[in-house]
Amino acid sequence: MSVSPGNKNPRDWKAILTRHEMLLLYVLIAEWLFFYFAGTTINRRGAVVGFGTLDRQFDILRHSCEIGLLALALTPVIITAGIDLSIGSLLGLCAILFGKLWHDGGLPISVAAGLTLVLGALAGGLNATLITALRLPPLIVTLGTYSLFRGLAEAITHGAITYTDFPASFLFVGQERWLGLPTQAWIFFGVALGVGLLVHRTTFGRAFRTIGLAPEGARYAGLPVGRRLALVYVLAGLIAAIAAIIYTARLGQAKADAGTGYELFAITAVVLGGTSIFGGTGTVHGTLLGVAAIAVLKNGLACLPVVMRMNAAEEMSGLLTGALLLVALTASVLPKILSRFRARHHAPAP
Amino acid sequence: MSPAPLLALRQVVKNYGGVRALRGVNFDLQAGEVHALLGENGAGKSTLIKVITGAHQPNGGTLTLAGQRVANLTPSSARALGIACIYQQPALFPDLTVTENLALRLEATSASSRIDWPARRARAEQLLARLGAEISPDAEVRSLSMPEQQLVEIACALGAGARIVIMDEPTASLTQKEQHLLFAVVRDLRKNGVGVIYISHRLEEIFALADRVTVLRDGQSVGTHAVGDIDEAGLIRLMVGREVAQIYPAAESAPGHAVTLSLRAVGCRASGVHNVSFEVRSGEIFGLGGLVGAGRTELARILFGLTPADSGEITLHGQRLTLRSPQAAVAHGIAYVPEDRRRHGVVLELPIAHNLTMAIHRRFFPTTWLRFGAERALALDFIRDLAVKCAGPDAPGGSLSGGNQQKVSLARWLATEPKLLILDEPTQGVDVGAKSEIHKIIRRLAKEGLAVILISSDLPEVIGMSDRIGVMGGGTLRAILPGGSAPHDVMAAALGTTERGAA
Repeated sequence: MSVSPGNKNPRDWKAILTRHEMLLLYVLIAEWLFFYFAGTTINRRGAVVGFGTLDRQFDILRHSCEIGLLALALTPVIITAGIDLSIGSLLGLCAILFGKLWHDGGLPISVAAGLTLVLGALAGGLNATLITALRLPPLIVTLGTYSLFRGLAEAITHGAITYTDFPASFLFVGQERWLGLPTQAWIFFGVALGVGLLVHRTTFGRAFRTIGLAPEGARYAGLPVGRRLALVYVLAGLIAAIAAIIYTARLGQAKADAGTGYELFAITAVVLGGTSIFGGTGTVHGTLLGVAAIAVLKNGLACLPVVMRMNAAEEMSGLLTGALLLVALTASVLPKILSRFRARHHAPAP
Repeated sequence: MSPAPLLALRQVVKNYGGVRALRGVNFDLQAGEVHALLGENGAGKSTLIKVITGAHQPNGGTLTLAGQRVANLTPSSARALGIACIYQQPALFPDLTVTENLALRLEATSASSRIDWPARRARAEQLLARLGAEISPDAEVRSLSMPEQQLVEIACALGAGARIVIMDEPTASLTQKEQHLLFAVVRDLRKNGVGVIYISHRLEEIFALADRVTVLRDGQSVGTHAVGDIDEAGLIRLMVGREVAQIYPAAESAPGHAVTLSLRAVGCRASGVHNVSFEVRSGEIFGLGGLVGAGRTELARILFGLTPADSGEITLHGQRLTLRSPQAAVAHGIAYVPEDRRRHGVVLELPIAHNLTMAIHRRFFPTTWLRFGAERALALDFIRDLAVKCAGPDAPGGSLSGGNQQKVSLARWLATEPKLLILDEPTQGVDVGAKSEIHKIIRRLAKEGLAVILISSDLPEVIGMSDRIGVMGGGTLRAILPGGSAPHDVMAAALGTTERGAA
């Protein structure tokens, strides 16, 4: 009888060690070790440079936070079998709104940040309303708001204004360390913990999964399908706003093209982390591993002497990220295909 | 006619991992014969069908087609050898016309060939005429009723020159009249020398239609009989391996006097239900009989808030309700075990425990934090209480047989401690053993004071289980009859005047 993986005996170590998240962890470790040995060099003055330095590791973490936050925002969305293409644009819009509230509105940074979070959640609420009240497909709705949010950001700034000169106390969030780690990493980990608990430890997460697997079945079980779906999109908007503030603090400027294309990296990380694009299955720790695997690959490549000589880090990382995703997806369906193949070609016993 | 049977299986064995689904099945089918296949769910019928249609390879035994031994049967070679299977749910393309569906099945694909529309249409017309079906070849399949779609499937089989036609519970969703039409088609196939393997849980159909019957139990064929040589009790004995003394458990208590649910002139234009009035008392089993399409499921959907009523009054324990969503219905203590358990009743991918607590999230997890230990304990209680056969609370719903899925679906709603339980076709597609267990559970619930509405297309079940029977037709309640009424009376009420008026 076929039993879906993960539902077997939870103490089955073989099953645990060959789970998607574990496979991804092995890949991540292998990746890291490779770059550690191939991407670390000693320069003319005898100092260690490249991948193997602590500074570089912190850099990787710093650069992963925004896409990581968007991936966290997308995980519950994709578990409900939905999608949100608008969060990269929303990051840009929120960055602009934040800059405008502070710079033109004269609000204190903290109030501007708080208002930005509210506006982010409201923008998520727009997606939620269109999806749940009008029953439009999430792909189309968020494709629309993808353009809408970016367009608004550009309209507000006339495509020219960039807000800069933020106070040092704010830049601390994006450029300094707190308790040994880049400051924004603490926010990132906090959000990860929150989303992880929501998805794995509460009835909300249970409802997300049920909706992703059987939307009609969830309705027949009396689950508030519309309200739960609305929650994931509002939450996605809120987290995109957090990412926008961190982005602004890291670069010290807010501009309309912030976060362009981030939604695709985030979707890649989520799917690489084992969340099914068809809904129902997926974990937050898987998403974190997916984010890490992509970040290490991207930064590690930039440290390889051969890539540096060719000056092709961007191209290589795009190519390899795509390849990694396809390999991971293939690996996750391979056992099923193999067993089907075996069943087909299994000769009957004499 | 050749003396060799059309199809002969000898000692067929099929294992799935460690599970022995078939452990030595003998079966043969003559040309021009209707051979019924009978067995509890999990007895191996589906597996046997998969072996015959080439979907699965047996691990042992032989399969002989018209005297020739066949090895390594695949779905396409089975089709080429004239084996066709008609499933309960027709697998047609709903947006294409009948002609196009037939063409897709029957025409070899080739990129360059011109499409000969007149020939396609003529063939469709001719095949449908052979079945005596009054279906337009230009109709979109979406617009056809379930039995009409089945006829199209049969037309496909005929068009492909099938010599062996397998029918898997073809009457599960048909009305009585449609059943008779289908039977006529099957008899016609038999007359034309086609061998029919007929699978059904309804014994009376087997006696009406089949020439021989083979019973499967635990993956083995336990006997093949001519239908004239065996009676219902004998078949049930073969299926369950024991004597079933009484089919329906007797009521142990009379219904109470307190009115639980009262409907006054309830209607909903969107679902075609109008002017329905009745009362259900605590401890009463109120049966809802009638033909498919009479409006019974539609009424249940109104009571569960899925399609809210737009006229009339619904009161529960004297309190007037407006039921605008399933959540509202659940909050008021109304539970609905839906007809389509695979789509609505059980989430197949989720563990049994998750399925069980699905409707009681708010009460069982008041802080919204999941309590895994308590949930498992609750699941174990229900598994024991309802005798659910499963590997444990973590086993996914899809790993269970139909009857056990139904028990999980039922348990989910019992966990809500409802005041009113609506059961929609609770024993459809469920094997005899599980069926009688479900009947006992329903009786026990009524005895405990629950008001039960039992919707069933199985006439003996409605009559045998209900204290009173509401008979529906054309979207309204036609009559309320006492339990144990003659089947003829119920049927007559269900057909009512509309049937005559329409004719």
